[in-house]
Amino acid sequence: MSRVPLSIKVNGEELELMVEPHWTLLEVLREELDLTGTKEGCGEGVCGACTVLLEGEPIRACLTLALEVQGMSVTTVEGLAGEKTLDPLQESFIRHGAVQCGFCTPGMIMAAKALLLKNPCPQEEEIRRAISGNICRCTGYAKIVEAIAAAAPQCNSSIRGPLQGPGEEPT
Amino acid sequence: MRLPRFQYLEPRELEEALEMRDLYGARSAVLAGGTDLLVRMKQRLMGPAFLISLRNLKELVGIRMEGKELVIGAGTPLQEVSRSPLVQHHFPALAEAVQAVGAYSIQQVRGTIGGNLCQDTRCLFYNQSAFWRSGRQACHKAGGKICYAREGSDRCRSTNQSDGATALMALQARVTLRNSQGHRDLSLEELFTMKGETPLDLAPNEILTQIRLPMERPGRASTYERIAYRSAIDFPVASAAVWLESERGTVSKARIAVGCMGNAPLLILQAGESLEGRPLEDTQALAKAARIAMDQASAFAVENVGATVEYRVEMVSVLVERALHRAAARAAEAKGKEHA
Amino acid sequence: MSDYAIIGKRMPRVDTPAKVTGEARFTADLKFPRMLVGKVLRSPLAHARILSIDASRALALRGVKAVVTGQDTFGEKWGVFRYTQDQCFLPMDKVRYFGEEVAAVAAVDEDTALEALELIKVDYEELPAVFDPLEAMAPGAPLVHENFPQNINIHVRIEVGDVEGGFAASHLVREDTFTAAEESYFQGEPYAVVARFDLEGNLEIWMPNAGPHMKAKPLSNALRIPLHKVHVRKVAIGGAFGGRSEISPADFICALLAQKTRRPVKIVYTREENTVCTRQGHSMITTIKTGVDSSGRVLSREVTCYMDGGAYSSTGPIATSVPFLCMEQAYKMENVRYNGFRIYTNKPIRGMIRVHGRAFACGVDTQLDMIAQELGMDPMDIRLVNAREAGEYTPTKSFVASCAMKETILKAAQKARWKEKRGKLPKWRGIGIGCNSVQTGFPMGIRGGSQAIIKFNEDGGATVISGVVDNGQGNDNMLVQIAAEELGLKPEDIQLVSADTELTPTDPGAYSQVSTFVGGQAVRLAAAQAREKLLGIASEMLEARVEDLVARDRMVFVKGSPQKAIPIQKVIRTGLSKGRVVTGEGSYWPKVDPRREWVQNPYGQMCEAFSFGTTIAEVEVDPRTGKVKVLEVVAAQDVGFALNPLVLEGQFEGAVAMGGQGGMLSEYHFWDKGRVMNPTQLEYKLPIAQDMPKIHCIIVESHDPKGPYGAKEAGMSIAMSAAQAYSAAICDAIGVYLKDYPLTPDKILKAIKEKARG
Repeated sequence: MSRVPLSIKVNGEELELMVEPHWTLLEVLREELDLTGTKEGCGEGVCGACTVLLEGEPIRACLTLALEVQGMSVTTVEGLAGEKTLDPLQESFIRHGAVQCGFCTPGMIMAAKALLLKNPCPQEEEIRRAISGNICRCTGYAKIVEAIAAAAPQCNSSIRGPLQGPGEEPT
Repeated sequence: MRLPRFQYLEPRELEEALEMRDLYGARSAVLAGGTDLLVRMKQRLMGPAFLISLRNLKELVGIRMEGKELVIGAGTPLQEVSRSPLVQHHFPALAEAVQAVGAYSIQQVRGTIGGNLCQDTRCLFYNQSAFWRSGRQACHKAGGKICYAREGSDRCRSTNQSDGATALMALQARVTLRNSQGHRDLSLEELFTMKGETPLDLAPNEILTQIRLPMERPGRASTYERIAYRSAIDFPVASAAVWLESERGTVSKARIAVGCMGNAPLLILQAGESLEGRPLEDTQALAKAARIAMDQASAFAVENVGATVEYRVEMVSVLVERALHRAAARAAEAKGKEHA
Repeated sequence: MSDYAIIGKRMPRVDTPAKVTGEARFTADLKFPRMLVGKVLRSPLAHARILSIDASRALALRGVKAVVTGQDTFGEKWGVFRYTQDQCFLPMDKVRYFGEEVAAVAAVDEDTALEALELIKVDYEELPAVFDPLEAMAPGAPLVHENFPQNINIHVRIEVGDVEGGFAASHLVREDTFTAAEESYFQGEPYAVVARFDLEGNLEIWMPNAGPHMKAKPLSNALRIPLHKVHVRKVAIGGAFGGRSEISPADFICALLAQKTRRPVKIVYTREENTVCTRQGHSMITTIKTGVDSSGRVLSREVTCYMDGGAYSSTGPIATSVPFLCMEQAYKMENVRYNGFRIYTNKPIRGMIRVHGRAFACGVDTQLDMIAQELGMDPMDIRLVNAREAGEYTPTKSFVASCAMKETILKAAQKARWKEKRGKLPKWRGIGIGCNSVQTGFPMGIRGGSQAIIKFNEDGGATVISGVVDNGQGNDNMLVQIAAEELGLKPEDIQLVSADTELTPTDPGAYSQVSTFVGGQAVRLAAAQAREKLLGIASEMLEARVEDLVARDRMVFVKGSPQKAIPIQKVIRTGLSKGRVVTGEGSYWPKVDPRREWVQNPYGQMCEAFSFGTTIAEVEVDPRTGKVKVLEVVAAQDVGFALNPLVLEGQFEGAVAMGGQGGMLSEYHFWDKGRVMNPTQLEYKLPIAQDMPKIHCIIVESHDPKGPYGAKEAGMSIAMSAAQAYSAAICDAIGVYLKDYPLTPDKILKAIKEKARG
């Protein structure tokens, strides 16, 4: 089957690719661009591990044809951190112990990023709703919700958990 | 999971898309949000040779007033529907239904109202991988002659689990189907065939372009209720939408639609009629209507979407009653405001 | 407060920066030049004889590089124990469950591999199948394995004391039967394997695993290559929960394809394959008879359990025992009889899972609540009467050195305001309590102990070499914390080499809650030895005795006078110049009774330490729909000592989600003959963020005398007791004791209506 051209912007970089029409965005990211941070957990749009941002909105890369995002801008988890600094969400996930096995983490962070882009001070219920399509099997979500609340740029949330780092006393 | 191969077509305008539908007919499928279609293709339930993408057809997106109708483009994202002040104000049942679909990041961009309305019927004996279905005869929906959900059934008993369809049924929506020659204008009762194998009266050369709702006026109210295991992700296992018209505190007309029981949302006329002339606050009448809805819907359901059929049937009465209570309160409140 | 520099602190995990940036590589993320894609052809029948396999058309397809079937294998049978060897990874004679491996292909891409599968023609002779354990035991039932009469795979029989006498002396005796459906792991990461051979015939292999050494040995056996040539590599792992301890047929098949093609091969399971073709949790039918005196003290107990084991043994002897052992650890019992039967059926293979049998744990606790009600006792009080205490022996003769079960009950009850709420909540609200206990590391065979090596590096940092694997719970961080503490370094000074069978010494694997207690202990001992050598050099430099020296914060100094400190880096450099090696070795083997065996002799010390946990849940039930809203959960566990409270809380919270929210409300498999109806996350209802309650974690420390720093297992007692607490709370809310798990809305509603009818 012949390949067709695809122009997309991924993590700020303009790309000209040749893809097969039946490839999903997830397959192009992972296999053509080696951006393996975006995971496949179910392949049917349920688990949320493949969540990426399309023009700032969260989408399931596993249920999006690559050709459907022609000319658009995609952000993956690899596109969040700066050269020397992590995104505040990434920092917060580390600090709050919101990561265990880490497989759902990139999708979870991208869903959270989409929320904070729109709503710089979400309530706990809004956070839980925003990540309701992202399944985590390890954490019970408590520390993930804390981490997202703590990373919200414009508020002092009461959901925050204790914030000790190494060397500080446990509560 | 891999998609099967196909040719991707990207018409720039509706006319071009309709020409493609004319040319490729049953070998083509229309790709809107893809959240339903692509899963079916991955499971090899469908294998269209041509996928006609609607992504460039801006004329299919948007919500606007047209005379006495609200017109919703079939390609309008679910999020845009649920957030539309017009929809929220006049058709809360639709806003509630659409908000309940899937999860946040599915609703956001990809899911469309047309896709939700045309969502194929489901059955746990059918909506499985190609491997899962292998090793035994194909069922009615897969082109065979057997039903695994109801032994001995001579037809497909798959279930319509669309939230939007149930709400739109209660709201008396009509749809526009276009082909290259012209268009058809159908009520939802006409759109749904009540056949599990081919649940929609949508010809291979047609595209659903619009959903149209008669504008509401004060004294009318609608609500939607559903039950699912989880607060997000899941398809409902039972659902109900009601629409009430009241005059001076009395129900003058009611439409009650029940979802997840049959091949289509079921409009239970008798349940609606039982409320005519009853005061909005007549809770016994509301309960009775709910029971009628349950009794009539029960004939359609089979155990094929997850929860037990007894439970789902029982939930019809609970959901209809709850929907009616909220709608009655809403109607009374709206009327009160108008008088004030 | 102990004076630790690193441990005991809320330390963010060392593995998480790579995970939040997407840089962590899981198996499916790996890519090598010339790598092929492998796909497995699976049986579409639950029980059938394989008559012939014709792969010629598949092999003729362009891009297909190899097809393997049972004919390409040595026919070695796998079993965790010698007496449970019953599974060929590519069976030649017959298939025993819907989904079993029959053949596999390697092709240049996934589309080609999938196409090739469809071209392999297999002729089967379908055999009668059996899907229910009781039917499978009945006379005349089809045999899944011809040499196992009545399909009884495992029978564990335990008898202690005078059971009949105990019942005769009882004030009250109850007998109830509890049932539960199968559950599944649904690890975030679907199973995947990458395998390649080098020119010397070494196999390099990556896969999510709960013990690289436990994978290497059976691979070496099945492939008939020396063990030292099997190099299981470290890779990021997306969860285990008991499901990744054993070798998977995919490991063997992937290696076989790589061997045959001389190219790297990758197999990635679909979500459905991960559910059907790895392991599942057993379904159970458990009959419990309990006799108590008038104070509620258990005098005698008899339990009979039938477990649906599926097509092969897997960890059968362990899985058949552990639910009973958890119960006998949690509660005192003098007279007890257990008959555990694991039955073969034509269903997917069952293994160990975090909650270890809802029908067992919840059955025991539900019955305690029923007895308490008959005696007019508070459920909390009957647990306090029976709760295990330190210094006691379990019925099967394990000494319990540390135990704070009662403290977990009292602290949880206080936090949950139990006394204010129990029996006083509004209608349709309920509060329930569950208690349980879990083993900390039982050894299995010769890979029961762990060894570690540590070397100081020229820059003053250290490399820790350990076989311990991290499959998501934070084991890497645990090792780093312990090493940094012992060596007087910062966590960032530690270089961890772990979970690699070529580079690291043996380790039992991260099953049976063993990693901290055994693997962590080995690292602690190795670090202590390296520190001794470090301080030996420093003592010459500081002119002080070794025993007076302290290593902390990258410095060595005389106790009490940190102003006279010298940097560790300087000590190491001095050592280098003097030709002194600064390394350490540590080995830890749990002190257990070597004569104890799961089936033949289930008596004696089974492991060294036990954790104890209590969960209390408060719920509200919608009486019209049977839906449950969980309002609040308190989880309290005796963890011995909290090495890292931040990580422990995460374990507790995750355990409440898996054991309580999922395990008791929504997670179960349902079937169409041998086909699982809900193999994916859409229909298998894993908990989501919106539905999870507020969770309060209480860490209780009993300071186990043998655990590293007093630590023992963390989290599993919560997973089990959470299931019990959820069930108890629902029963309290509706006023009916339910016995079939999980408690889905339909069951709850039915019970409410039956009660209303009287």
